[in-house]
Amino acid sequence: MIITSHEDLESVRKRGLTKIQPKHPRIGVGTSSCGIAVGGMQIFDRMQELIQKEGYDITLVKTGCIGFCKEEPIVSVTIPGKSQVLLHKVRPDDAERIIALALKGEIPEDLALCRIPDWDHITGNLVYGDGFESVPDYGEIRFFSHQKKVILRDSGLINPEDIDEYIGIGGYSAAFKALNSMDPDTIIEEVKKSGLRGRGGAGFPAGLKWEITKKAPGTEKFIVCNADEGDPGAYMNRNEMESDPHMLLEGMLIGAYGMDVHEGLIYIRAEYPLAIERLTLALDQARAYGLLGKNILNSGFDFDIQIATGAGAFVCGESTALAASIEGKTGRPRLRPPRLTEKGVFGRPTDLNNVETWCNVPVIITKGATWYSDIGAKGNTGTKVFSLVGKVENIGMVEVPLGTSLRTIIYDIGSGGAGGKEVKAVQTGGPSGGCIPVRLFDTPVDFENLNMVGTMMGSGGLVVMDEDTNMVDIARYFINFASSESCGKCVPCREGLKHLLLILNRIVSGKGTRDDIEILKELSDTVQKTSLCGLGQTAPNPVLTTLQYFGEEYEKLIAPEGK
Amino acid sequence: MSLLGNGKRMVTVTINKNQYLAEEGEIFLLTANRLGIDIPHLCYEKALEPYGACRLCMVDVVTCGKTDMTPACTIRVQNGLEILTDTPQIIKHRNLLFELYLAEAPKSEVIKEMAAKYGVTKTRFLKKIVHDDPLQGKCILCGLCVRVCEEIMGASAISFINRGPYTVINTPFYEHNPDCEGCAACAKVCPTNAIVFEDIGTNRVMQSWSDTTVPLMICPECGKPFAPQRLMEKVLTKPESGLIEEIKDLCPECRRKYFTLREIRKIPTNGGQA
Repeated sequence: MIITSHEDLESVRKRGLTKIQPKHPRIGVGTSSCGIAVGGMQIFDRMQELIQKEGYDITLVKTGCIGFCKEEPIVSVTIPGKSQVLLHKVRPDDAERIIALALKGEIPEDLALCRIPDWDHITGNLVYGDGFESVPDYGEIRFFSHQKKVILRDSGLINPEDIDEYIGIGGYSAAFKALNSMDPDTIIEEVKKSGLRGRGGAGFPAGLKWEITKKAPGTEKFIVCNADEGDPGAYMNRNEMESDPHMLLEGMLIGAYGMDVHEGLIYIRAEYPLAIERLTLALDQARAYGLLGKNILNSGFDFDIQIATGAGAFVCGESTALAASIEGKTGRPRLRPPRLTEKGVFGRPTDLNNVETWCNVPVIITKGATWYSDIGAKGNTGTKVFSLVGKVENIGMVEVPLGTSLRTIIYDIGSGGAGGKEVKAVQTGGPSGGCIPVRLFDTPVDFENLNMVGTMMGSGGLVVMDEDTNMVDIARYFINFASSESCGKCVPCREGLKHLLLILNRIVSGKGTRDDIEILKELSDTVQKTSLCGLGQTAPNPVLTTLQYFGEEYEKLIAPEGK
Repeated sequence: MSLLGNGKRMVTVTINKNQYLAEEGEIFLLTANRLGIDIPHLCYEKALEPYGACRLCMVDVVTCGKTDMTPACTIRVQNGLEILTDTPQIIKHRNLLFELYLAEAPKSEVIKEMAAKYGVTKTRFLKKIVHDDPLQGKCILCGLCVRVCEEIMGASAISFINRGPYTVINTPFYEHNPDCEGCAACAKVCPTNAIVFEDIGTNRVMQSWSDTTVPLMICPECGKPFAPQRLMEKVLTKPESGLIEEIKDLCPECRRKYFTLREIRKIPTNGGQA
């Protein structure tokens, strides 16, 4: 079926809604990578086997990740007319019991995490109903109550492998509105007004980049989605693609229409097989509905997306290396300018945006720039998804308005250190970022404030360290990562990082001298200032911030004869 | 600003607070070197696009009172360009880069001399020691050989292998590579003379490139080997080679002899002389 009119979209939406809220019980098993890692697929398979064998009147679907990774595997049970209930830490052995109870309109209360009476998908509102009052409300769970879900609005609640469910909660209505009733320039204007900044780390205004690409000479252009997420401890993009792939496709479709570009690419790392699988399926489903291809939604606009996979190099997240990799060349950055917007993939003007940047687009079009810019802080609008990991009690995907303090994220949402330990620091921005000590936890998380304390926002990894963490070892870990991921083109990054690592190894093994600390500072400075691309320019940040905030830990490791 | 006879515009640039006239659009590194302002560099070659990998030619570009460190090989001369080449910051970073080079290519006399010229005679970093290094402990991975082989010769016989600190340059799988034409352009552009090759008997052996062996042409006149066969074949298929039939297989020496003799004996030619 090709969707060509509002009526068509509406009929698919209704069908999708009945899939999400059927007349019989529906069970959703969290099967993102995090859920699968702790047995989500076994639960799904066991349930499927039981339901098929007995011919039960139950809808069983795979869902994405609701974000509370610590509580995975999470299973959602929806009894018609009653609150949806999330069950946590479910084991395959629980499958039989969950099904038996669901058939009776009940849930295993001992496994219940929380209940969801209604849910604001932003593009649509779902009311489930009351019931199960003994189970805490979603809003009473500390991990969820401080969050604001915009990007993750559908994650864990809809089936990412079924386009009908995405359309069911209002998906592709933004694309319909854009393609049928908006002027392409108005779309760019709207994104500019929303204040959306690139979520890959640099924070460049997205609308401005779109405008530059549109104005660049040439008729054949590309838009590219950067899904080469590779920071240690960061998996926001993976979750976004695994849990709600159509949100990304819709964002790209709207962007393409705004920029009048007809070819899209998703550059995704090969280490994300499930995301690739779900995106491929999503692309096929979107094409089958005519949401990609020729004359999309009867608007006369043509656009399609292809997937390009990486080959396991962190540096390929850098724009020029990414373009080289897509072209089949070695992923090594080149000099800029020219920027990609001028000379990108195969020499054509290219707009490159991070997964999450694209994911913001549909809601901006649906709700408008003013609605969007009211979220977050001035100059840092909207929400940001973080992966809160490390030695923190509540591990998971956290979405908060920009400008939220680290304290809120780590203590209110994360419940502090794991197992009651003292939190010492948090690393933001992956290997490019730095370690922030507890005393600076009131720092609002936004592009500028994090820069001021010597780190950066990056793509959204937050690695928490507790009292047992050796900060010099942390610096060594990140330098080791950056050094082995360096492309080797320019000398400060290739050789400089190698020597930083050698010196840090020496210090960690207790053989360092006071001179070593001076050399660390000096070399870090040169690597930062003289490297060719962002990888080298930011790689010494973990060393510099740990030296600045945890200098005493270095001192302690210096060999006595070195004093 | 003035207009030259060749249509190129001369513009004013400020280098270290002094004003100079320079050709608009020229690569600043060349401008500076022509004006006698010394900027060290290792990875720039006129025949190739600027690459910006050696980072030695970093200079400060001054815009509205703010400075931005940029490689001089990537800056194009334009009117009002203001550059600082010798600030304490630049000297500090450059000296440290020299230390890194001294550790990376401890056997390179070129690097030692260049570093010494800027006052850097020793390195605080661990020297890289590779046993049986085909590039004699002299390679600084500037990439000129790889680029000239690919972009100018079109052979792509060598490339970077691995990445980061493990990067090396060699033929694929460290095997004899039949794509090599034996032109030795790689050795010619190498700034540290790291590449070794030798003509042994009727073959050219590229010792640095996994002993890739390329047969040499034998001059039918004097019987001496002179140039790599594959390279000659490629040159001779080009219509613009302009060589007449009688001499195209001869070595340069015998070609000269041919012309000298023809002048003396007035041998009539049958080929269309270019």
